[in-house]
Amino acid sequence: MTPFTVIGGFLGAGKTTLLNRLLRADTGRRFAVLVNDFGALDIDSRLVVAHGGDTIALANGCLCCTIGDSLVTTILALLEQPDRFDHIVVEASGVADPGRIADLAVLDQRLARDGVIVVVDAGSVRERSADRRVGDTVTRQLAAADLLLLNKTDLADDLPPLRGWLSTQSPAPVLEARHADVAIDLLFGLPRLGGAAPADAPDAFASWSYEWAEPVERGIVLGMLRTAGVLRAKGIVRFIDSPARRSVIHQVGNRLDIVDDEPWRESETSRLVLLGLKPTLGMLGSLQRE
Amino acid sequence: MSTVVYPARRFLTMNPNRPSVTHVAVRDGRILGAGSLEELRGWGKFDLDERFADKVILPGFVEGHSHAYEGGVWKFPYVGYFDRVAPDGTRFKGLKNIDEVVARLQAHEKTLAPGASLLAWGFDPIYFGGRCMVLTDVDRISTGRPVVIVHSNFHVANANSVVLAKAGITRTTNVHGIVKDASGEPTGELQEMTAKYMAYRAAGMEIAAVLSDEQAVWRFAKVAQLAGVTTATDLHNELPESTVEGYLKASASDDFPIRLLPAFAAASVPPEQGIPRLQALMKKNNDRLRFQLVKIVTDGSIQGLSARMRWPGYYDGTPNGVWNVGPDDIDRILLSWHSAGFQVHIHTNGDEASEVAIEAVERALMAAPRWDHRHTLQHAQMADAGQFRRMKALGMCANLFANHLFYWGDIHYAKTLGPERAERMDACGTALATGVPFAIHCDAPVTPIGPLFTAWCAVNRLTASGRTLGEAERISVADALRAITLGAAYTLKLDEELGSIDVGKRADFAILDDDPLSVPPEKLKDIGVWGTVLGGKVFEAPKS
Repeated sequence: MTPFTVIGGFLGAGKTTLLNRLLRADTGRRFAVLVNDFGALDIDSRLVVAHGGDTIALANGCLCCTIGDSLVTTILALLEQPDRFDHIVVEASGVADPGRIADLAVLDQRLARDGVIVVVDAGSVRERSADRRVGDTVTRQLAAADLLLLNKTDLADDLPPLRGWLSTQSPAPVLEARHADVAIDLLFGLPRLGGAAPADAPDAFASWSYEWAEPVERGIVLGMLRTAGVLRAKGIVRFIDSPARRSVIHQVGNRLDIVDDEPWRESETSRLVLLGLKPTLGMLGSLQRE
Repeated sequence: MSTVVYPARRFLTMNPNRPSVTHVAVRDGRILGAGSLEELRGWGKFDLDERFADKVILPGFVEGHSHAYEGGVWKFPYVGYFDRVAPDGTRFKGLKNIDEVVARLQAHEKTLAPGASLLAWGFDPIYFGGRCMVLTDVDRISTGRPVVIVHSNFHVANANSVVLAKAGITRTTNVHGIVKDASGEPTGELQEMTAKYMAYRAAGMEIAAVLSDEQAVWRFAKVAQLAGVTTATDLHNELPESTVEGYLKASASDDFPIRLLPAFAAASVPPEQGIPRLQALMKKNNDRLRFQLVKIVTDGSIQGLSARMRWPGYYDGTPNGVWNVGPDDIDRILLSWHSAGFQVHIHTNGDEASEVAIEAVERALMAAPRWDHRHTLQHAQMADAGQFRRMKALGMCANLFANHLFYWGDIHYAKTLGPERAERMDACGTALATGVPFAIHCDAPVTPIGPLFTAWCAVNRLTASGRTLGEAERISVADALRAITLGAAYTLKLDEELGSIDVGKRADFAILDDDPLSVPPEKLKDIGVWGTVLGGKVFEAPKS
């Protein structure tokens, strides 16, 4: 299954800046990034290993594709070359509802909806949201977010009221950044379950791993997942109330999926990895140890 | 250098110096003269062709807003509420309830190869008193093969249980646009992009490909020709190579019966790529194919509840619609194409969209002053008098969607716009009074191509239920005929070459069985079209 992430946000919020970071980052993963316009990306020509019209291949394994006649066609064509990438990222247009684009993940079983990340311009979002022509477009985008990236925090006059207002628009957790400078793994997850915490993560972020030999109380796990500050989670768990099956946990910000999977194998242990803000997860860790 | 003189009952020329003549001389595909036989003798030797002696001849109709998809969909059976004529001239009777739709498709189903999918189009349940099509209806057509029925708005489809099973659509599928009944089961109605793609994929249908191949372009040209059209637009196309190739091949044939004007989808690529691409395509232009138009789509549709409306919004309280190219993005695209000298057609249905487009044109003109740009609002259905005044002041044109008055006027009156705004929609009278150059259109395949019907709509403003929607916006038959000929040609910057019967212009004619200025205005739509002449070549329409 290929994770499928949609980057939304109004024009000028910093989606392209974020994609430029993604394409330059050394994440050990090959992202296929679908954009409307290559030209807006800042691609170092020395890192281009192949340029084939609608696709640019980079030295770090990432691909850049322009969305041609149709996004659906582009995605389906890409899926025919699954060995070329690990994760698909689509840049939504500045007025699109990114939630509707994320729906496309159901089109093909090879796609797994990973999350909707909405980039927010801290300097202008309040004004935009009050605009009679685009206000409803902006608030629909915020409401569609699984994870909000509050960008350009250096341009906001007063952050606390902005944070408060944002929480009335969307229940999604908020990451804050300038110039979209954010740990890539926090937005796009770890390459695999149990992977190491991102080496380049700022001090405030961390990943925490848990293992349980015995079946776990569902409520305990849900409590951990729903703690403020948890930005992503991934796990395969044996719940007390469903001991016969693997319960696969996937959380991106506000969106939590727990799916019944194959029968539980006795050799396994329950595992859960959380990514998020260090202070909160530090507290969780100590709770668990008790 | 042979000359042919055609006598007719009369020619309505759109040339105010000689509005009505009895004879026209044609040489080299162009109009040599229009007057009396005596006057035309001065040009020398000619052949007299009397086949149109009892016909009334107008300049070939110009359809300023249609889509070549009209040709694509005719590959599939039509199941709409209103009668519709296929490219071969066959008239399909409108289907007045769901049982009739099911019956037609049951018959069609028997003609298909085993395992083949069944696709139908044009389904229009708005006059079925609220009865929706549900799974059990579609399953009566077949439970052995995939069945997908696309609605007339092209935004909604109904599928059978074979499709739902293959697509994995169940009561637990959580995707926008999958309609479910009171008990939570999917009804087979699919409303949004993703939901419809799920169905198309499950049915193995490559919709986009068949809708724009060379055969589709041919069918489009033929269905246009049947209606007396000699020039038609394909007014929004990303112009992939395969489509361009289809256009070029079709238009290379002397038998291709129309002049085709595709409009490049401006937002599909950045202007700095799109402009050189269109300029390169323009070098391939021929007599029957003209690359020159550009289109920007701002909002959605009124009946699809996706138009961008100013206050007070939708009459029934539906939230405002969606932007495709919004107020923050239109300048970048418009200014680039405007500065490169192109004429830009801007789709605006709601009045907020029209406002945004007008303001963008104003800013483009301040940034790059230009004369005779003729940037045109396409649809402009809700534009009010003030917006027409601004359009006039800025040198803009409008192409109004007169067919909407008939097909959706009742819905607009009762639900979407409410009485006042429904009565002033597609305001031909205001356009005329304000002096905004205007055309009227069909937006085929959304409604059938048929300029005489479109003119009838602008003249009578009757809805399907018979309500006169906005007496004050009615225009005269003469004005409506101008709008489907010279008026439309003006909005395409072809008025010096087409649109009237005048010396030196293309010999493009619509050959009618009766005189639109003599029949009662309410009969305008019923006038028979014998066929067309394109560049002097006669195209008789097949008879139904």
